[in-house]
Amino acid sequence: MTTKNKIQMIGMCGVSLALIGGVAIAGIPDRPEDIGFGELLFDAPEAGDYKATLSNGVTVYLAPSKEFPLVNVSLSFKGGSYLEPDEITGLASMTGQLIRRGGTTTMSPEDMDERFDFLAANASAFIGGTSSGASLNCLKSNFDESFGLFMDMVRNPGFDSERLRIVKDERLESMKQRNDDADSILGMEWGRLMWGENHFEGSAATEASIKRISVDTMRSFHGKLFQPGNMIVAVTGDFEPGEMISYLEGAFSDWQGGQMMPNPPSPDHKFTPGMFHVEKDIPQGKFRMGHRGVKRDHPDYFALTIMNDILGGGGFTSRMMKKIRSDEGLTYGIRSSMSNRVHYPGVFVVSSFSKNPTVALTIKYALAEIEKLQSDGVTGEELETSKRSFIETFPRRFESKAGMLNTFVNDQWTDRPAGFWRDYRSNVEGVGQDDVQRVANDYMDPDQMMILVVGKWDEIYEGDIDKRASMAEFFDGTVTHQPLRDPLTLDALPESTSDGE
Amino acid sequence: MLKRLILAALLAAVSGGAVHAQQVEPEEFVLDNGMKFLLYPRTEQPNIIAAGWVAKVGSANERPGITGISHFFEHMMFKGTTTMGTEDAQLDGERRRSQRALRDRFLELMYGEQYERWRKGEVTDPWDPEQFTGELDELRRSLKDEMDTHKEEIVNNEFDQVYTELGASGMNAFTTYDLTFYFINVPSNKFELWAWMESDRLNDSVFREFYSERDVVHEERRMRTESTPTGVFDEQFDAMFWQSSTYSWPVIGWTSDLNSYTEEQAWDYYHTYYQPANLVGFVVGDFDPAEIKPMIREYFSRLSPGNRPVPAVVTLEMPQLAEKRMIAECDCQPQIRVRYHAVPFNHKDEAALDMMSNILNGRTGRLYKSMVEGAEIAQSAFGSNDARKYGGLFEFSATTKGDATPEELEAAWYVELERFKTELVSEDELQKEKNQALADSYRRLQSNFFLLVQLGYFEGEGGWEYINEFPKRQQAVTPEDIMRVANEYFAETDRTVAVYRRKEGGAPEDPEFAALKEKIGEQMAGFVRQNVQQLQSVEDPAELEEALAQMEANKGQAPPEMAPALDYLMKKVRERIEELNAE
Repeated sequence: MTTKNKIQMIGMCGVSLALIGGVAIAGIPDRPEDIGFGELLFDAPEAGDYKATLSNGVTVYLAPSKEFPLVNVSLSFKGGSYLEPDEITGLASMTGQLIRRGGTTTMSPEDMDERFDFLAANASAFIGGTSSGASLNCLKSNFDESFGLFMDMVRNPGFDSERLRIVKDERLESMKQRNDDADSILGMEWGRLMWGENHFEGSAATEASIKRISVDTMRSFHGKLFQPGNMIVAVTGDFEPGEMISYLEGAFSDWQGGQMMPNPPSPDHKFTPGMFHVEKDIPQGKFRMGHRGVKRDHPDYFALTIMNDILGGGGFTSRMMKKIRSDEGLTYGIRSSMSNRVHYPGVFVVSSFSKNPTVALTIKYALAEIEKLQSDGVTGEELETSKRSFIETFPRRFESKAGMLNTFVNDQWTDRPAGFWRDYRSNVEGVGQDDVQRVANDYMDPDQMMILVVGKWDEIYEGDIDKRASMAEFFDGTVTHQPLRDPLTLDALPESTSDGE
Repeated sequence: MLKRLILAALLAAVSGGAVHAQQVEPEEFVLDNGMKFLLYPRTEQPNIIAAGWVAKVGSANERPGITGISHFFEHMMFKGTTTMGTEDAQLDGERRRSQRALRDRFLELMYGEQYERWRKGEVTDPWDPEQFTGELDELRRSLKDEMDTHKEEIVNNEFDQVYTELGASGMNAFTTYDLTFYFINVPSNKFELWAWMESDRLNDSVFREFYSERDVVHEERRMRTESTPTGVFDEQFDAMFWQSSTYSWPVIGWTSDLNSYTEEQAWDYYHTYYQPANLVGFVVGDFDPAEIKPMIREYFSRLSPGNRPVPAVVTLEMPQLAEKRMIAECDCQPQIRVRYHAVPFNHKDEAALDMMSNILNGRTGRLYKSMVEGAEIAQSAFGSNDARKYGGLFEFSATTKGDATPEELEAAWYVELERFKTELVSEDELQKEKNQALADSYRRLQSNFFLLVQLGYFEGEGGWEYINEFPKRQQAVTPEDIMRVANEYFAETDRTVAVYRRKEGGAPEDPEFAALKEKIGEQMAGFVRQNVQQLQSVEDPAELEEALAQMEANKGQAPPEMAPALDYLMKKVRERIEELNAE
């Protein structure tokens, strides 16, 4: 060691000592756990306390607040892209876009846009995978005009053909970018492999399916979904509840009918466990691995939630983050999720990324964490940390009024068992160490996982410089190379198909 | 005239009492050591407090050799103290010192013989472990072993764990060019926890995992910059745009610098920029100021007052004298960025430039109308005004649609710009933007957490009062102001242009069209394309047959150089007729 370095070190020690010396102040406990915290009493809100039913049968949730002169109305409809015909993939989301962008039957798109913007009213509409909606956020001072315009949009969309053409072109342009970003390739290919290209979770629009969308198909799709018989309303902001109810009664008095949409279908596709890869010339490989999981309202819901939190769901405090990010420096982020579905089993999935040569090591360590949890379970301290976190952060779920009402709306659509939120904290409290280990064994199986990697295969396969891991060690070194797809047709691009290693 | 009156009435309705109502008036107090706090109690969202603090330092305060240290330092702040993160502070200190000794020796070799080998061309990347000398590789392995041993004793991520089990959520931080902000949400009964944790790490951080954490930052850099479609080019564009300003390097830092920070540099940075007088704390949410003020005093008073001045950022951007241009090829949608030097945060012209960008944006904005719907050359187009502490910029950016080129978008932008320079924006157009700005000034105050971030951000840029003042300045902007700034800040010599083209192998252009473009030139080809696009909206084959007949008839009279364009167009008309007949 040089003299200069010695001097630096002495300097540093001095600094540290000075800092340590500064800590000892009377009144400050040695550890944060020693602080005597006051009690925080919080009762979960009951949906019924915010609920009203209009004479046309529509449920309305209301939560007023005087803080800002704004009113927020949110219409929620059941159903989404699972209801579109197979050959017109993309119809649902485009219908949602056109409701907002295509004017009304009596107003041009340009006039509608100008009016909303001049009123400073934010209006939107969307049709997603399983749910749809339209919302309005406007100043209280022009609520009447804004709401009138909004309801005209919701009930009598114009589906202007010129706007439809523009929106279709936009969609084609964004499709062209499907292979530009590795995450987009990963998401598309994962969907196809996990759910199958015929299930709405795995299907994706093509140029051909977009071309089949017409004003008529959109009209009929809108006509099915956007009906009062398929709608729940939530209102927050500056209003008197009684007045708002009468107002809505008046506004909806001539609006009747419509059926509640059916539930989304279960996938019939069986995914294949194993290693899959798509080539992309980037320095960092991205991967997802996992298999099917459970339905949302599963009796082991709480044990699974805690188990996943400790494994990889709980951010910096999770085992995967501690080991793979903090200890090994292999990634900027890794997480696992028990991604439930209401009507059919969801997925358990781990996702991360690392420089190409250490992708194998990252996967190896992630799998090791799963196996360790299965064989050794969790410590009492880990369990306690996780449980306390769910219990103590529980009030945040109801922090904003709009968020609270959204929870109620979602619970109503999905028939969430009554008392779920009331009993939430005691159910968390009831999870034991053995429960966690049991569900880890029952619902995770590394041998049955599908692993999908996007990145530069020769570097990924080879593994790290210190020979700690290579891709040869998973599934006997067998890999299926998935082709890069033509972004407009999703057919395999000829030059991208290659043989397995 | 009637329309004007209705507008005036509506405006009155919109703005009545509004400017007063959206005032944010936090209680401000300063500790003896110089640290300032702003407390803003609100009961609308019960049981929760959002809290955070800003360090008024970012990558603009750095210099070559330590670029990215502000962001790296942010990572270090989560690594614990003598209390958090270890059960044996003394052993922990020894481990850190031995790692430091190895790393110092490693750097000595790196900057000595290894850089020398690079200068001579014996290695291509001196930092690539595959190209290390035996001794360097030996040191790399020893350091790795030391770090692994140390890890067995570290209480991993204890800082996060304590917060988590006591009910805090959303803990994180971010670093920008100008500031570093640390934030979290805690239950209302846990404010003292925040005071304990934050004052502890400000007072007693030890920069644990100083060497291993940079691997994480390298991965972050790969994720954010190197593995995205345009990341590395965007970084180059910044470096080209800013000539002398310290905004020329990325917040995350240059790769070689990321490898190089020493603990000595980190301590120097800490004692300079993390002095209490350079920090401001914020608390927003459900609390009683009288209850938490004594806690703030007790905990944060343990920070020693600073003992050195915070150095000024001295270097100003040199005036740009000539246009700069780069052409990138990437796996990306073809796109264009045209950038100009504009004004710093809180400059008297910031609001006018901001309004100018608002007039460009949105579905009723000028760019959407002229480029997305009108000429149909853009998939999307934006104007943005970015005012920072030590300088600002205004940027036009757009992605192409169909066969349009970035150069066509660029030309279309200059037309829009010229409009601003020569025509006053209409009162209606400006009023629409003012109405929206006003409504947005409420919307952005609704969430405690978002309000906290804004207060921290504005304070870091120059003063939190901006949150109240800027909306008023937006309302005061006149059409004349906009014309003036358009003429003042958008000189041709002060523009920097980035053209992004799709790399070969991506979605191909229609080869026939490419050949046509060769023959008749970019501009004429643009007209042809627009005509072809309009064909798509014609639904009646008879109408097209008629047009076709007309084109046939006129063909002979057209100038010979236009013949290929007409042929192409007629071919497309026939294709469209066939398409329609098939349906």
